[in-house]
Amino acid sequence: MITSSARTDVAPAPRTETERALAGIWRVVVLNDPVNLMSYVVLVFRKVFGFDEPTARRHMLEVHEQGRSVVWTGLREKAEAYVFTLQQWHLTVILEPDETR
Amino acid sequence: MKRVEVKLSLAVVAPLLDLIKRMVDDLRGQLAAPHSLQDLDEELGAAWKGELLDDQKEDCHRFLALFDREFFASGMVAFDDHNAESVLRACAAIRLRLRDRELRGLSDDALEGAGVDVAQLDDAVQKAYLCYVFLATLQELIIQHLDSAILEG
Repeated sequence: MITSSARTDVAPAPRTETERALAGIWRVVVLNDPVNLMSYVVLVFRKVFGFDEPTARRHMLEVHEQGRSVVWTGLREKAEAYVFTLQQWHLTVILEPDETR
Repeated sequence: MKRVEVKLSLAVVAPLLDLIKRMVDDLRGQLAAPHSLQDLDEELGAAWKGELLDDQKEDCHRFLALFDREFFASGMVAFDDHNAESVLRACAAIRLRLRDRELRGLSDDALEGAGVDVAQLDDAVQKAYLCYVFLATLQELIIQHLDSAILEG
């Protein structure tokens, strides 16, 4: 049995500036471009995120009409993977910290 | 496996291929769309860009492979599960490059709304615009006929 006196408390290592900056929740934001077809953007959203047609279309229209759409929110590592995949499809995409949480 | 064969007009498409190949050459070493993760460290950023460039090159290679001996004999090109995604992405990359290099004089509204009076363009811009529209037409065809294969692939 492990008693409390035998337990070793390990203090968390101090986080670097970069680690602090990258922690937390991030948004994957697709920006408008005048080149890619609406049908293409809808297909890419369905393919990459598994959106149904109405959801993909809603995000596409947001990009088209408002210049940007937040298509995914979550941890940095997965957000980066989505950014990479969207860049493979030549969409213009940025990552930004979600400061609302 | 679904396969879509399209007969293109050799007289219209063949003269566009030299410009398309020039845009593909121009994409070697450069990404079609901006790569914008500023806070990646230098090594990761270089690896990231390198992988995207490799993918872009492979897609463009597969796209150019459509215009083979059979195309020049009959005008036929074929899309299927194996090349549809690559061709779609390559068309997007080449259209972005055409916009940056050859169609800078056209407004975003004109490009998005297809409100371009082709007869008013000078020869070089006219040819670039025809390429731009041709590539969009290929994309529309693929999306219309092979979207299920792409979504399930």
